[in-house]
Amino acid sequence: MKRQDSKKSPGFVCPYCSAGFDAYEAVREHLLAKHSGQPVPEPPGTVTLTINGQVYKQQVQPEWTLYYLIHDRLGFTGAKQMCDRGSCGSCTVIMDGRSILSCMTLAIECDGKRIETVEGIAAQDHPLIEEYVKNHCMQCGYCTPGFVVTAKALLDRNIDPTEEEIREELAGNLCRCGTYPQHPKAVLEAARKLRVPLEK
Amino acid sequence: MATEPKIMPVNPMEHDKYIPETFTVVGKRGVRRIDGQRKASGKAVYTRDINLPGMLHTRIFTSPYPNARIKSMDTEKAEALPGVRCVLRYDDPEIEGKKAASTQGVEDEVLSRNAYFEGQQLGVAIAADTEDIANEALSLVRIKWEQRPFVLDPVEAVAPDAPPTRPEWLGPSNKLPLFFGADEAFRFGDVEKGFHEADRITEFKTRRRYNGCADAEPLSGVVRWEGECAELWVHHQHPWEHKWVFHQWYPDTPMSKIKINTPYNGGMFGGWNWVDYSMIPTYVSAIIAKRTGRPVKWVFNRRDDFTFGSMDAMQTEYKVGVKLDGTITAVKVRTYFEQMALEAVGHLFENTRIPNLYSETVLVQVNKGPTHALRCEQQPASSCLTHVFNHAAAAVGLDPTEVALKNDGCEGRDMDYLAEFKRNNGFPVRDSLRECIEAGKKAIDWDNKKHAPGGLKMPNGRMHGMSFTWTHEWDDGRGAACAGLMVQPDGTVNIVGIRADVGVNAETTYCQIIAEEMGMRYEDVFFRNQDDVYLPLMTPDGSCNLVTNGYLMQKLGRMAKQKLLEMATTSSNVIEYDVPAAFPGYAPEDLDVKESVIFVKADPTVRMSVGEVALDIRGSIMRNKNDYAGIQHTAHPPVFVWAWHRQGRFGVEEGRARLCR
Repeated sequence: MKRQDSKKSPGFVCPYCSAGFDAYEAVREHLLAKHSGQPVPEPPGTVTLTINGQVYKQQVQPEWTLYYLIHDRLGFTGAKQMCDRGSCGSCTVIMDGRSILSCMTLAIECDGKRIETVEGIAAQDHPLIEEYVKNHCMQCGYCTPGFVVTAKALLDRNIDPTEEEIREELAGNLCRCGTYPQHPKAVLEAARKLRVPLEK
Repeated sequence: MATEPKIMPVNPMEHDKYIPETFTVVGKRGVRRIDGQRKASGKAVYTRDINLPGMLHTRIFTSPYPNARIKSMDTEKAEALPGVRCVLRYDDPEIEGKKAASTQGVEDEVLSRNAYFEGQQLGVAIAADTEDIANEALSLVRIKWEQRPFVLDPVEAVAPDAPPTRPEWLGPSNKLPLFFGADEAFRFGDVEKGFHEADRITEFKTRRRYNGCADAEPLSGVVRWEGECAELWVHHQHPWEHKWVFHQWYPDTPMSKIKINTPYNGGMFGGWNWVDYSMIPTYVSAIIAKRTGRPVKWVFNRRDDFTFGSMDAMQTEYKVGVKLDGTITAVKVRTYFEQMALEAVGHLFENTRIPNLYSETVLVQVNKGPTHALRCEQQPASSCLTHVFNHAAAAVGLDPTEVALKNDGCEGRDMDYLAEFKRNNGFPVRDSLRECIEAGKKAIDWDNKKHAPGGLKMPNGRMHGMSFTWTHEWDDGRGAACAGLMVQPDGTVNIVGIRADVGVNAETTYCQIIAEEMGMRYEDVFFRNQDDVYLPLMTPDGSCNLVTNGYLMQKLGRMAKQKLLEMATTSSNVIEYDVPAAFPGYAPEDLDVKESVIFVKADPTVRMSVGEVALDIRGSIMRNKNDYAGIQHTAHPPVFVWAWHRQGRFGVEEGRARLCR
């Protein structure tokens, strides 16, 4: 166990006796030795997220975006980086029921959040996926997952949207190939399929 | 070896008569695109998604000045930043003074010490554990610059007293040599005679500024060394060419030890692919990967990506002669292009009957980022064509669509010539420009809304405008393509090749053609992108290259079907035992294939699925076909056209236009 140099501010402080340490492992060892029976706090930067129904516990840096965490660290590559500044919608995920831009959201602020990505939507066999294929809503496909996620968030709260409402909802998603006319068609058809069991 | 472009004679080649009603898959609506599920569900992988164990992230310094030279550089603080694994400088012995080739054959410096435009990547590259650390380290680099005067306007750049824009390459002159099919002067007919015959002469100037590339997926790449073997992931439209140019940089690494992976490309539309400058990060990353023993990924950020411009950044002076009935008698243009040029009157020559054309092309290096073909290298020609028709129509008070149809033709010839050509070569005899114009006019109520330029002011004080533009469909096939075809023992078929997907659904097209030619069900054919370049299709898989690849698929499908029927009618000798013919006593020509079933034409009840036949011979039929389609740079006239109509609202006070339909 290595004590923190007294001239530096300690990186890790024991919450029970205020002893300072230069590494989390050191303070953890101290806690187990000196304060057994007390709960060991999580290291700074630890976040717990539920992504597509599965729990992920991650230690993140303060500057990490949610996009970086899910795409680069956890491998949910369906979220795409196009503009990297909240303008294109390609990195959209659903967080606690709302579509959000993962490139503009800090991962450290997402502790306890429930995240849904396009991979999760596809795993549910959501009719949006099939309708997007049938209606040729993509060319290069890079922006397509962002559209699907945005549309899913809409259908989650409004199962019978008008075409105007769909256009409004998808207005924040950019497609460089210009596939815009196809998306409302796919979303309308997916909504219709979702309503069928409810209408029986 | 001759390097002059080869002009092929007009040649009907090996095409079929176009009989749509005989097709079962090609040209049909509702065909499921084979990459659709992957792209919609987020499973399609792009280069930006590649993440390898131990991978480093490289970022390159960008110039804050449009014309400058590095006097000295201090990278000490950057090197000391935790997480930094390699710093590569312009004065490193491995790169100093060396140039690297691009997939277009043009050279550029790897980490130049000279800046020729603001935002240029140069000077130093830093590889770190994360992109953020690499960026932070770059901010710690201190550079002493020699700033130099710069020029952004091409006309100013060719003035006698203009400062040199790229002195280390061009010396005192800012004029660039022409290439890519452009001539300094293009002459067809006699323009002075044409102007003499005209009832009206109109002269005007136009300017098109840079259009950014704005890739959906900003440029990126990954390089990894495994011993003496190199492996690259390229977000690029010329993967095979990467193999060649990478070998030029590392001559001790033969092409046989270079592997290229081509994930999907997030919309790039030509653009960066053509620019030698975009290859620099690949070479830089390869050097760093070799030194560190770790895979290296490089990425452009959005600002980096916007330094590129479309090749129609140009200023043009026009003189057009037109008769009162709309017949254009002569067109004379002089165009100043920035960085890159293509003949501006090209489409007027290829697509009209205008008898007299003259064009001067001045290609100028200015202190801006590179330009090249973006969403079609023919944009300069399209721009010229559009302006000529609209201004000529305005000069004589006619509808520009009427003027377009009046002058429709090819290389100075009229529509009768084109109709004859179509008739003789198996194409439907249609006036497709007229059809498109009629459909477009109807779509936006052109006849009721049209008015003369500057003729309608809206209640809010803004001007309203109507214009018309069109260009021809690409008529040229070019280059070479390879692909393989394999019938699996279950009767499904793989097309094997490497593609550079640009989103135009080429994989599906290949499957449609093979299904059509072999008699297979579309669902039984699947395009399998190779992990490496052995059978390179003509890339990118769009625009004119699809013509080449489609031609290849047609031949491949026919060969495979022939081979399949031969094997179905002859016994096969395999090591363990002989396999009798599936259709004994028949010749290949007695059989046909439909819906993935082989049957006897004279008695269709004698039938067997392709799968049963393939399984019977206990193995697959593998027929690799290296087929170089000989349709390079054809000069036959265009047959199809596209047309667009535009309705715009114009704010004259801002000098800007907004396209609304």
